[in-house]
Amino acid sequence: MKQKEANKYKRLVSFSLMGPESGALCEVECEDGKIVRINPYEYDTEYTEANCNPWHMEARGKTFDPPKRVNITHMGLCYKTRVYSPNRILYPMKRIDWDPEGERHPETRGISGYERISWEEAAKICANEIKRINKTYAPEAILCESDMHGEGKNVAPSHGCPNRMFSLTGGYTQQMRNMDSWEGWYWGAKHVWGCEPVGEMAPQANLIPDMAKYSDAILFWGCDPEVTPLGFGMKMPTLLCYWFTELGIKSIYVCPDLNYGAAIHADKWIPILPGTDPALQLAIAYQWITSGTFDKEYIANHAYGFDKFVDYVLGKEDGIPKTPKWASEKCGVKPWTIKALADYWAEKIVSICHGNGGSYIRAPYATEQARLEVMLLGMQGLGKPGVHQCKLIEWNMWAKNYPLPYTPAFVPEVPHICDAIRTVPGDIPSNIGMSRFPLNDAQKERAPEIVDLFKVLPGPKQYIPRCMVQTAILDKHAEWMGMSCFATAGIPRPGNNRVPTVYDQFQKNEYPRPGMSRIHMIWSTAPCNVTCWNDGFAFQRAYRDPEIETFVVQHPWMENDCYFADLLLPVCTKHEMHDIGNDMSSGTYVSVYKEEPCIPRRGESVSDFDVCVKVLEQFGPEYVKAYTGDLTEEERVRFFYKASGCEEKMSFEEWNERKIFVVPVSETAKDEVPGLGDFASDPEEYPLETPTGLLEYSSSNIERFLPDDTERPPVPHWVEKGESHDERLSSARAEKYPLLCMSNHGRWRIHAQCDDIPWSREVETMKVKGEDGYLYEPCWLSPEEADKRGIKHGDIVKVFNERGIVLCGAYITERLIEHTCYVDHGSRLDPIIPGEVDRGGAINNITPINPMGKNSTGMATSSFLCDVQKVTEEDWAEWKAKAPWAFERHVDSAFGVCVEGWMKDYENGDNYHG
Amino acid sequence: MGKAFFIDVAKCSGCYNCQFACKEEHCTNEWLPIAAKQPMTGQFWLKVEEHVEGTKPMVRIHYIPVLCNHCKDPACLKAAKNGAVYKREDGLVIIDPEKAVGQKEIVDACPYGNIYWNEELKLPQKCTGCAHLLEEGRVPRCVDVCHTGAIRFGEEEDFADFIDGATVRMPELGLGPKVYYRNIPGRFIAGTVYDPEEEEVIKGAKCHLTNGVKTWDAETDAFGDFWFRDLPRGLFTLTVEADGFDELHFPEIDTKGNSINLGDQPMNRRKA
Repeated sequence: MKQKEANKYKRLVSFSLMGPESGALCEVECEDGKIVRINPYEYDTEYTEANCNPWHMEARGKTFDPPKRVNITHMGLCYKTRVYSPNRILYPMKRIDWDPEGERHPETRGISGYERISWEEAAKICANEIKRINKTYAPEAILCESDMHGEGKNVAPSHGCPNRMFSLTGGYTQQMRNMDSWEGWYWGAKHVWGCEPVGEMAPQANLIPDMAKYSDAILFWGCDPEVTPLGFGMKMPTLLCYWFTELGIKSIYVCPDLNYGAAIHADKWIPILPGTDPALQLAIAYQWITSGTFDKEYIANHAYGFDKFVDYVLGKEDGIPKTPKWASEKCGVKPWTIKALADYWAEKIVSICHGNGGSYIRAPYATEQARLEVMLLGMQGLGKPGVHQCKLIEWNMWAKNYPLPYTPAFVPEVPHICDAIRTVPGDIPSNIGMSRFPLNDAQKERAPEIVDLFKVLPGPKQYIPRCMVQTAILDKHAEWMGMSCFATAGIPRPGNNRVPTVYDQFQKNEYPRPGMSRIHMIWSTAPCNVTCWNDGFAFQRAYRDPEIETFVVQHPWMENDCYFADLLLPVCTKHEMHDIGNDMSSGTYVSVYKEEPCIPRRGESVSDFDVCVKVLEQFGPEYVKAYTGDLTEEERVRFFYKASGCEEKMSFEEWNERKIFVVPVSETAKDEVPGLGDFASDPEEYPLETPTGLLEYSSSNIERFLPDDTERPPVPHWVEKGESHDERLSSARAEKYPLLCMSNHGRWRIHAQCDDIPWSREVETMKVKGEDGYLYEPCWLSPEEADKRGIKHGDIVKVFNERGIVLCGAYITERLIEHTCYVDHGSRLDPIIPGEVDRGGAINNITPINPMGKNSTGMATSSFLCDVQKVTEEDWAEWKAKAPWAFERHVDSAFGVCVEGWMKDYENGDNYHG
Repeated sequence: MGKAFFIDVAKCSGCYNCQFACKEEHCTNEWLPIAAKQPMTGQFWLKVEEHVEGTKPMVRIHYIPVLCNHCKDPACLKAAKNGAVYKREDGLVIIDPEKAVGQKEIVDACPYGNIYWNEELKLPQKCTGCAHLLEEGRVPRCVDVCHTGAIRFGEEEDFADFIDGATVRMPELGLGPKVYYRNIPGRFIAGTVYDPEEEEVIKGAKCHLTNGVKTWDAETDAFGDFWFRDLPRGLFTLTVEADGFDELHFPEIDTKGNSINLGDQPMNRRKA
């Protein structure tokens, strides 16, 4: 018995899939080298009460106390199944059809199987291929796909390690992450209110306590507080929404679906056709302008170009007054409901909440709904008490004065060894610190041991926005506006965030750059383009392009883009390594904690960092030294803590003992002016970051640089169709594809991750069991649309348009309006015919390939035309004849598609390795 | 008196943490002599039921976690041979994973469907109240991971206030279930009224509902909506009155199958 006790131990490991700062801390109970259970981390309240100045929110006679524990989501809770998943890549593997010395068979990527090889052989092949490509073409012929959203790690990050490696081996082309979580805000709202860097309202200080005190209602407009914030690993928004209701604040949801937040929190659900929000917004403006029910004094002092906006709304510009009746035909909301919403909003104090936006701001021309939302808030006195746009996600990112709900005393400066999204040197003015994780002077002084490790290595030679990579490869050329940087600095530091990057949006860029090589090799740590980005089928065709000679993926799990790789390199999970974690956003406190291995590394997996070390060993010891700085993983943890600034508050010895340092809440947190309060009270003294310093109802930058853009004109417009998109119900295409597909973040996933948790797969909103026993991704349909097509609940259906066919399971529900279907993004690909037919339900396979607008280089992955029909016997027969192997691959009954199905000689049988 | 579960449905956000934590505890671990390992999928010792009420756009959802009732007078215990089901001193009902092998009748005996058959082990299995954790001074996993406090666990005498007015599943069976529920919503009847001439909602319209036994009154809100919540199942009559408009009358509204949304109803202006 005593022996057994000795083998029990606990580890702190965060659930983190949204970057290194997104940790939601868990306590992992282990025994005999195995994980027993994962619990939410519970703060030592005796310690925090004495040392951390805990916050309490008070409003209307009620108090909201900080949760005593991290409110982890089901994904954090179930993460054990991912560590032990039968879908783990445990050994280096090579595609059997791919011979680097002979035939490479790009045409069988996505079809052919894999065989295990040794690490030595894998590392040799990688090194030889890098050298060969460098010599045959040029270093920039290697595309490094290494941005988001793998596990959040600091000393051996999921993303950026290969960038660092290629900086040493000669260079690379950067896959530049587009602003996928903020598209409409970044390309649209920024032109109304500045609000660098992502275009959502900033600052966000003290918004939650202010709304609790003053708001009558909160609009959850295209926002699901029970879903999109889950990426940050926590359920604080759930508790806040319950509290708002308890305080008597009305929750009004405007969205096509009765989303998971609306399901339990809504006082009113106003369903709207996907992507048609600008029509509703313009009609609200029409009501306010024609009835005089907006804040005229505020507009007189805070707005630029309001007269041009009024001309458009009233129809003076185009002869069409944007009346509620006009809007109703576009957006499906009844005219009387539009008027009622406009009147209510004008009469009451109203804020808007978002979890970044999801489908609402990732649609064709989503710049327009993002801009119009800000303008409506402006017409009701944006920044005055209770009138805000509040984020329920990414607290303490982007700028220091973000809520938690209260600002911490300081933000720890935990270094992060790899910079996954680097700019090409010279692309961005040097006063903008776009390098995401350099060591600053204070960090260097605190921890001289890591100065060498953080020596700035050469940047990429050229870049392609992630949403254009498939186009660039298939067309061998691409052009776009902006995106020469990802607008982030992650950790708030002066100079990183507040310098406007907006001008970059007006620069035209191209691939390949003059005199530079096209891509011939791809290396990925983010193999989810086929399921999370735009037109996944085009991505599949790009990965099979004959010009792509080599495709390497390093990843813990066999999924999505992995099926197209020639080499797969096994990566361990957070639970198998040392790290220093930092929780910036889970909601009670900011903290810095020591993560240690729960279990030995599984199979031959190593950290992402060490994957690159193995490759660099083939180049020589000087490469390894330059890459590692001669520091081990544990030494990096030690010195990163030293650099973080926390050691001045808690010694390393104490941290090592306690395993966590909790940052106190700022003593003056409550005194910070809520949101844009300063701008509201004195716009001259506290101007916005727009060129005029005012809210721009006609963007002065767009007037200056792109005045003739009909897809994003200076004044936001209703765009029925344009050269980039023809995705409205009024389109001729709608005769064949009469449904608007809405696609949000998955309720049970984080983008492509956690699609394999066997226990959530049993919930019908996660997977629908088809008559063949396969668990299909649900496709929501209203009973009316299902009836029209003879579809019954649980039927296997095909969701399709010109771009291809995705199979789903019909989920018939009153939670969705007519003329729409709804499929979340991120379901794992299970290709029947690569580039054409997918059984896995990866809906992004059939989303538009074009950017959100011709001058807005974002992706439009929701609100597009398609149809849904039952899969017929003829369909099955055709696919089985064309691709019999796709139906022979082993699928685990609990975990779904898995690595064994792709092995040359797999043993058939379900196989949990815990 | 003994241990019981106390579930406030109004506080359940439908996160399913309880259902999944139960699985994490039991599908990948063995807790003998209390519980053998549960199969990876297929059993739900705690299952979250999703209830969708109404039709768009008047739709509401509530979630009800269901689990073994740890009955005062368990039907499974009576059906078990060989003492394969026993009641602990604290009231938790446990299926002995050794003695119960082969006794499928234990599964069939539960009128709530809360016992599952493990085909591989030939074993009936169900919620143990995480008895193995109670011995360590901990609470059941489902309770531990509930962020909103919707599921609680403790001595019945400490929850007298909760029990007063609470319901249990199938009380008519008289088995004495020890899982108490509060705030399971009844049906609703809702709708919107508007003036088709002006295309505006009608606020403050007086709505009068009756089922012949009881009456309910409501006024339409800023969106022209009326809501009658927490109604019994049955037939209702509704009248809606607003100054200057003809009265609306809905004679037979049936809530037996579902909550009812009457939709957007035009009210015609009264002719002078």
